[in-house]
Order: sequence, then structure tokens, then C-alpha cells
Amino acid sequence: MKRGLMLTGLLILVLGGVHAAATSNAQTVANVNLNDGPYSDAHTVAAVPPNTGVTILERRGGWYRVRLASGKDGWIPMTSLRFGSTNSAGSSWNASDFNLFESGRAGGSGTTATTGVRGLNTGDIANARPDPQAVNELDGWTATPNQARQFAKQLSLRAQKIPYLPDAGGK
Amino acid sequence: MKARLLFAALIIGAMLPGVTGAIDLGSLFNTLKTVKQAVKPADLQQEEAIGQAAAATLLGAAKPIDNAALQRYVNEVGLWVALQSDRPNLPWHFAVVDSDDIDAFAAPGGYVFITRGLLLHMHSEAELAGVLGHEINHVVMKHHLKELQRAARIDLLGQAAQYELQQNGHNTELFNKVAGATRNLYSKGLDKDDEYEADRMGVVLAARAGYDPYGLLAVLQTLESIDPKSGRVQLLLATHPSPASRIAALSAEMQGRMDKYGNQVEGTQRFANEMRQFVAAAKK
Repeated sequence: MKRGLMLTGLLILVLGGVHAAATSNAQTVANVNLNDGPYSDAHTVAAVPPNTGVTILERRGGWYRVRLASGKDGWIPMTSLRFGSTNSAGSSWNASDFNLFESGRAGGSGTTATTGVRGLNTGDIANARPDPQAVNELDGWTATPNQARQFAKQLSLRAQKIPYLPDAGGK
Repeated sequence: MKARLLFAALIIGAMLPGVTGAIDLGSLFNTLKTVKQAVKPADLQQEEAIGQAAAATLLGAAKPIDNAALQRYVNEVGLWVALQSDRPNLPWHFAVVDSDDIDAFAAPGGYVFITRGLLLHMHSEAELAGVLGHEINHVVMKHHLKELQRAARIDLLGQAAQYELQQNGHNTELFNKVAGATRNLYSKGLDKDDEYEADRMGVVLAARAGYDPYGLLAVLQTLESIDPKSGRVQLLLATHPSPASRIAALSAEMQGRMDKYGNQVEGTQRFANEMRQFVAAAKK
């Protein structure tokens, strides 16, 4: 039962992901240059006006590589884009890039899959009945600092000192 | 016991200069005040006891997913990020909880939970690190702890009461008080400034851990793209500033300061492998 629930939940994400990946899903929020690389001093390929729909191809640091309706592609700063409501509750744009979800079993429509989604809303929190045993069980999954360091090493993650950011205020 | 020893040591320490000169009552008083502030509200034992009750309440609403490999993965990413924080030695516990809705939570003492729905909306380990970094900083800054202490009026919690809270006294008055305060706090949310602070600190923790620091910003853009009418983000939006205002604040704060870390590790492949295995296990 529990598995069935989880599976339907996952299928919804599959369907959503496939759907979202196929559409132009973001809009420019200002005049922005389309560059030939993810750098501010890269060569400008085109000037793009606000409210232009683009398709996201990939992200590198603070830059997205996007494709315009004309077929032209290039790089723009990530915060020059707004991701409009896609009407999709599913996984986001490039989930399908990972082939995370094989579509073999996802032949149905979104509607059949909506049963059994496990929600968590303000009411669920406001009425939660404590489960102390679940807290105890977390001990079985923790990592030691040495294990975490080994794990980091596998991806060549290197720790470094970086100061915290200032509060920009004005919210 | 520990607190009492520290207290005694500090009093002796404060009085020692008085042996060679005149006893400075003013400075002794200040020392006592400092000791009181340092020991009482933030005492680690108390924080852990409050955290256990808060975590039990949250896990009552959404259970941890029974998949050891997945939970282990999230604990490894989470601890590696937490080791870069100002409280690396807390007993950090991370868990993915069983909900398709999109949210993440932190509880005092080092508990961090993320829903399956949020996890499966991510694209890389750098995004996961950014979200966990945000939650880790709620713990580091004691955002929930302060609110829970105030709401449950347990700022003057004595050692006997702490003991009571820790003795699996699930139905004790104190446990119930913390559980009640947790239900209230986590359904209405923290002060918005706490969320902005956790965002800008989370970005830095991810960067310190060697990840691309733009992961959190990418997740916020994903959140912005989810239709509120879908219901998937009801709790998140009820308890946080809008994704748009978080993106605006974060991009202003990161401007010119994080660019040089943009080429750090994204961990897309390792993340995808873990998610693939998780999805495959769920299908069995």
C-alpha cells in the first residue's frame, strides 16, 4: 500500500517532468544580452528584450544556456529569467535529462495518477501526533565526519573558507 | 552537572584577580550575567531535548522513507555541508520524509528533514546542498529553538525538567508543551528575516563545501515555477516569503561575491544515480 502510494507519487513527477521539459518555460524579465559563454565579458550573440520566452538547456553557476524561438542559443544570467507557473505540479524542466524516470509505466494520464499523492499541508502539521520512535530510528542512517569527508573526496569537493554574505536588506 | 561545574569554574576564575588586588564586584556581576546567558537558554542538552520533541512532532506528520541507501546519501551530503558551519559538532540527523508536497524543515539540536517531493524536483547535489545549507543555518542560528523556548515558556528550564524531557517521557507535560509549540510554529512559520538569513548563509555553506553555490537559487526558481493551485507548495508558501522575493534578495546579496565559485562541483551525475536507484527501489 505504502509502496503503491509512493509509486503513484513518483509517476506524477515523471509525467510532469516530461511535460515541462518539452515546453518553453521561462521568460526574460529585462533587456538582456545573449552571450556565447557563461561570463559577463563573453561575446554577445543577440540582444533579448523583456518577456521573451526561452527554453532552458542547462545551467552553469549563475548562468543558463537557453534557446530562443529563432533557434539561436546562448548564455544569460540566471536571475534575468523568471520561471512562470507552468501549471505543472511535476518535476521541473530537465528532470528528463537524467532519465531518472523510465517512462515504461507512465503510459497513463496525469489524472489516473493523482490518487494517492501524499500531501503535507498546514493542517497536517497543526494536528501532528508526535512519533518519538521515528526520531530514534534516524540514528541508523547518520554519517560520521570521516565518512562525510570520504564521500566529499569522491567528487573532489574541497572545503574552503568563505565569509558570509551581507544582508542586502530592502525586502 | 556540567553547567554547575562550569559555573563554579567561572566564579573562581572571576575571583582570582581579586586575590592580588581589590575584588571588583562589578566585573564579577558581569561575569555571572554572562555565565547565565551562556549556559541557560542555549544549553546544548536542553536544545537537544527540545529538538527531539520537535522532530518527533514533525515526523508524526510525515514519516521518514524506509530506504537506507537514500537516507545515507542525504546524511552524507548534509553532514559534509554541516561540517562547514559554525556548529559542526552537533549530532546532525538528516532524513527524507514521505510526502509529495514540497518543503524542508529544521529542528533544534541538528535535525533536518526534506520531503520526497522537493528532493525529486532537484537536478544536482549542489541544489540539495543549498537546501540543506539553508536548513542547517536555521539550526546554527537557533531560529526555531528561540521561538519554541518562548512559546513553551521553557527558557528557565531546570535540570530536573530537562531530564524529564529526555527520559522518553512522551506524555510528560513538558514534551506536550514542546509538541504543541512545534505544531503552531511550523504551521505558521518563522519570522521572514530568519528565512532570508538562512538563504544567504546556506549559499555560503554550499560554496564552502565545494559545491556550485547557485544551487539554492536554482531550487527557488523551480519553486517559483510550481503553480500554487497544485497544492504542492501550500505549506511552503504559508511559512516562507515568496520564491520571487527570496530570489530577488539572494541575487542582490550574491551579486559580485559568488561568481568566482560558479564553476564548483554540481554533482549532477552522483545525484542522478542516487535518484534513479531510489525510484527503482520504489517501483519494486
